[in-house]
Amino acid sequence: MPPEIKPQVPKDNPGLTVVGQRQPRLDGADKVSGRSVFTDDVVLPGMLYGKILRSTHAHARIKRLDTSKAEALPGVKAVVTAAHATGMSANSTDSVAKASKRRTGKTIKLKTGETIFADDVVTYIGEEIAAVAALDEATATKALELIEVEYEPLPAIMDSRRAVRAGAPQVNEEFPGNVWSQDIDNYGDPDTAFDEADFIMESKFEAGVTHNLYAEFHVALVDFSRPDKLKIWTPTQTSYLMQHSLAPAFGLSVNQVQIIHLNTGGAFSGRGAVRPHHYVAVLLSRETRRPVKVFSAGDEEFLIGRALGKNRYKTRVAADKDGTLRAFDMTCEMDGGAVGNEVGYFGWMAGLSNAWMFDLQGNRFQRKVILTNQRPNFLGHGGMMVSSNCAVQQLLAKVARSLDMDPMDLLLKNAVEQGHTGLSGEVFASCGLKECIETVRRESGWDDKYDKLPPYHGIGVAVGAMAAGAKGAFKHDTSAAMVRVGEDGLITVYTGIPDMGQGTHTTMAMIAAEVLGIDANDVQLVAGDTDLTPIDIGAFAQRGTITTGNAARNAAIDARDQLAVYAAEKLETSVDNLRFAHGQVSRVDDPQQSLPFKEVTWGTLNSMEGRFVMGRGFYNSPLPYGTTSWSFDAQVAEVIVDPETGQIDVLKVTVAHDLGRTINPLAVEGQIDGQVFSAMSQVIYEELVTDDGLFLNPSRLEYKMPRTYEMPEIAHFMIESNDPYGPFGAKEVGEGPVVVAGAAIIAAVSNALGGTLMPEMPMTPMRVLKAIRASELEKSQSQSAA
Amino acid sequence: MLLPDHQYVRVDSLKDCLKSLRENGERTHVVAGGTDVIFNMRLRLFQPDIALSIRRIAEIKQVEELADGGLRIGAGCRLVDLAENALINERYPAFADSIRAVASSHIRNIATLGGNICLKTRCWYTNNSEQWRQGVKECFKTDGDLCHVIKSSSLCHAINNADTPLPLIVLGAVLTLQREGESRDVPIADFYQKDGMDHTVLKADELVTHVTLPPCADRTVFLKIAARKGMDFSQAAIAARASGTGTKAGEVSLVLGSISMAPIVLHEPARLIAEQGITDAAIEQAEEKVRAELGELTSLYARAGYKAHLAKVLVRRALKALREM
Ligand SMILES: Cc1cc2nc3c(=O)[nH]c(=O)nc-3n(C[C@H](O)[C@H](O)[C@H](O)COP(=O)(O)OP(=O)(O)OC[C@H]3O[C@@H](n4cnc5c(N)ncnc54)[C@H](O)[C@@H]3O)c2cc1C
Repeated sequence: MPPEIKPQVPKDNPGLTVVGQRQPRLDGADKVSGRSVFTDDVVLPGMLYGKILRSTHAHARIKRLDTSKAEALPGVKAVVTAAHATGMSANSTDSVAKASKRRTGKTIKLKTGETIFADDVVTYIGEEIAAVAALDEATATKALELIEVEYEPLPAIMDSRRAVRAGAPQVNEEFPGNVWSQDIDNYGDPDTAFDEADFIMESKFEAGVTHNLYAEFHVALVDFSRPDKLKIWTPTQTSYLMQHSLAPAFGLSVNQVQIIHLNTGGAFSGRGAVRPHHYVAVLLSRETRRPVKVFSAGDEEFLIGRALGKNRYKTRVAADKDGTLRAFDMTCEMDGGAVGNEVGYFGWMAGLSNAWMFDLQGNRFQRKVILTNQRPNFLGHGGMMVSSNCAVQQLLAKVARSLDMDPMDLLLKNAVEQGHTGLSGEVFASCGLKECIETVRRESGWDDKYDKLPPYHGIGVAVGAMAAGAKGAFKHDTSAAMVRVGEDGLITVYTGIPDMGQGTHTTMAMIAAEVLGIDANDVQLVAGDTDLTPIDIGAFAQRGTITTGNAARNAAIDARDQLAVYAAEKLETSVDNLRFAHGQVSRVDDPQQSLPFKEVTWGTLNSMEGRFVMGRGFYNSPLPYGTTSWSFDAQVAEVIVDPETGQIDVLKVTVAHDLGRTINPLAVEGQIDGQVFSAMSQVIYEELVTDDGLFLNPSRLEYKMPRTYEMPEIAHFMIESNDPYGPFGAKEVGEGPVVVAGAAIIAAVSNALGGTLMPEMPMTPMRVLKAIRASELEKSQSQSAA
Repeated sequence: MLLPDHQYVRVDSLKDCLKSLRENGERTHVVAGGTDVIFNMRLRLFQPDIALSIRRIAEIKQVEELADGGLRIGAGCRLVDLAENALINERYPAFADSIRAVASSHIRNIATLGGNICLKTRCWYTNNSEQWRQGVKECFKTDGDLCHVIKSSSLCHAINNADTPLPLIVLGAVLTLQREGESRDVPIADFYQKDGMDHTVLKADELVTHVTLPPCADRTVFLKIAARKGMDFSQAAIAARASGTGTKAGEVSLVLGSISMAPIVLHEPARLIAEQGITDAAIEQAEEKVRAELGELTSLYARAGYKAHLAKVLVRRALKALREM
């Protein structure tokens, strides 16, 4: 049990002046005017262009690899192959493996010994075989054409169901039967629950292969011209993990590796690890002693990008006739692709998150990661929780229907509340789930619409929860921040958290501004350079606002305390009788007595003693491991299905999100809009079409994503449960909404078809037409039965 | 992706253009708006020695009113200008709709009518980078002799994805094709060939200079189905025309696009409606006659079964829309 802790500020009327205001992003004007600098904008003197030769076979032995002609091409400065990377592993999750042992007591095998370049066998299309660095892109491209590779094709296995059958081709000899990992997580007592429940319902659900389609494609610029300093410009979610992976690989200590991540154009869980192209760029730079830029050109992005693979779920739910949910049992077969890597580890998140919202007796999640000759798979926006929640929430709607119960009532009956202890020991220190459900029920007009809409017009509800911060994945979950005070009253916040579009830098500025009582526009950020910024594990697991936010708050408090000395002296009072607000420092007991903030900073920094003000702060979860705070979310989606074309139009999504406290309503609305977009995109549009491991639609044109025209109307409701751990009570709005929006949309489509379960995402028009036929069959069968 | 080496030539007059095409037609690729050509060059689908820009040719950028009430439109007109042209909107609303259905406003700002009419066929086994294509065998488009989408075929089955030709066909438009010292008029209905490789009758030294539209008092409609509401090629599209009013229809034409190597004129369904009028019963019968006229369908960009289904849906929708006009 965590110690009893009190919220930082009272729930109502906490006297906040910056937090809660609609603050435009500090980097907004730069972003929209093109002034923001991204990695690909950086050109260094003497920089070379790197290109990677990739496998064109899904499974083949490399019989001969001859790079001599490429090496002889004028303008080519280096050609590297597996020989340059012997003993080097492209696996970066060692620390995750160790941490998971601490958490669960069992070691999860993470290494498949993924190498930087294929050794003598390639196992997927796009696998790295060799790379060149040349004076310009055209020469590098030409050099690739001159590399001769002779392949001996081997039988390939493309489907995870076939991969586990006897006699299937082996992807990796270390994993007989192509089973890379197999785990069962049991929480509570699922067996008794399933034995004793009044009834059990089950379903199957499949999710297709995706790409995260970042605005910024994969790119790495490396300067390793000095043997004791490795500089990398690259978009990332975590410079911390990158440093810790690259340093040992190249015989450096952690801080000899400098990661510069400038702006990161989207991440969506996909940029959490070092990938082969990073290593390749380092090797090329080491070889040439010159800066080298490696970037994906056009459809190459789809070979580099690692996102969700085929996931097949079987879901069972045990329930009683009065609508009590007793337990979930979910099995997931995950196509890990040719490498498997971390997906198996992250699978447990889906199993846990399905259950957080409900007071259950038991929960089981079984997962099997299967190797195939597909692209190595990883995570998409919302991890794999978008699809797992789609499977669960549709089924819950069916449970409700079978009981003649309104799904809202079912959810409300089983929803957890503040203080609830979950099946894996998690304690919800704040929880506004019921309020979320009641809000969307009211605001969406649910009671007038559910089962009252015309045919092919549907409404659906879903709920979700999201852990904010996850200590245990690493030894600590620390973020630190520094707050430098300028004599002119301008503040600089130093933070290591990457802003990849989520707007966290503006949040940090607002938090510091709140503490110092100044305008957030008077705060600038120094971020994205590990030589300058303090430790931060990174922007994942929704730890930004809660962890880095607390660090920024602590650092600002430290800076404020230093400024208070001067102000107290001037105002002839004690330091604890001061209030910093509205750009003024005033006496609490006599607010008329005040000094402008800028006068305080000027006075402090131009004193005879020569003071310098730099606030320091850090935050690490006080728990030994696990999460302190969860966001909760409920959404209602309304859709129209065109029964002739199978196309789905999402009309409206009503979102109520318990984020603890709203730091910046503008940013929260943006996050919610973006996540509704992403979820809609995942459940209706996005799918990589493959032919024997080759992606047929590797472009922004053919990999379908919706645009603004497809966006539904979105109603946002922010539920403030004032979390005791969060900065000013805030939790997260990073991935909470995305895992619910998809499930709400799919539930609405199912509802539009009279309750027929949608068996697959994305719900392409063909699949919708198939489901319509299935629903008509169901209808006619039930009519003839009656 | 970089453009392959090429010589960029810009001509300011039709005369210079035709001269250049006579001299170097085989080694030249005409660039109008370039929205398709430039990208295909990057993919190295074609690597012409000369990219000949026709954007400055004033003679092919006019819309002229003809004495008979028709229009003569220069092939170099930008889609954005045509979409806003009052005469086109008034006289040929279905054509105007098809223009607005092309790609997105950004692309229409630079794309031309001639480029849309001459748009190359597309295939997801070819319209990717050269490096990507090394993962598949050479096909007809890439100097091989195989079609990936219909393996047994002796023809390339790439899709003709252009939207504006469909209403132009039902409107009976005529294209003017010019080569140095010579001009010929080809009804747009005869311009396309059922071959993804050689998809029009245009010769290497010819330029499409004008599109002539005869007057039309009939009801017309254009409908497009795509995965997105913009910035997307059709999965299927239709243009339809009927004389008369209400259910009465003396002359009917129906043209489907984007499901095959060329636009498909639906003869039987049109004849049936012309005979029986646009009644529900006739529409139902007409729908049943659609599949037989589509020929072999591929699962390129959308499943073959879905294309066949959409074809019926579009025929039904188009006919019902005409009836309401
Ligand atoms: C994202 C995207 C979406 C798109 N969506 C659509 C869509 O929905 N519908 C659609 O129809 N198209 C679409 N297109 C394709 C293309 O943009 C349009 O067809 C456009 O009208 C082409 O015109 P252009 O002037 O840019 O042609 P260009 O690219 O300049 O030329 C296209 C072809 O026509 C030839 N050509 C051009 N003018 C002449 C002439 N006067 N005489 C002889 N040959 C000529 C060129 O040599 C070339 O082979 C899309 C393209 C993109 C990139």
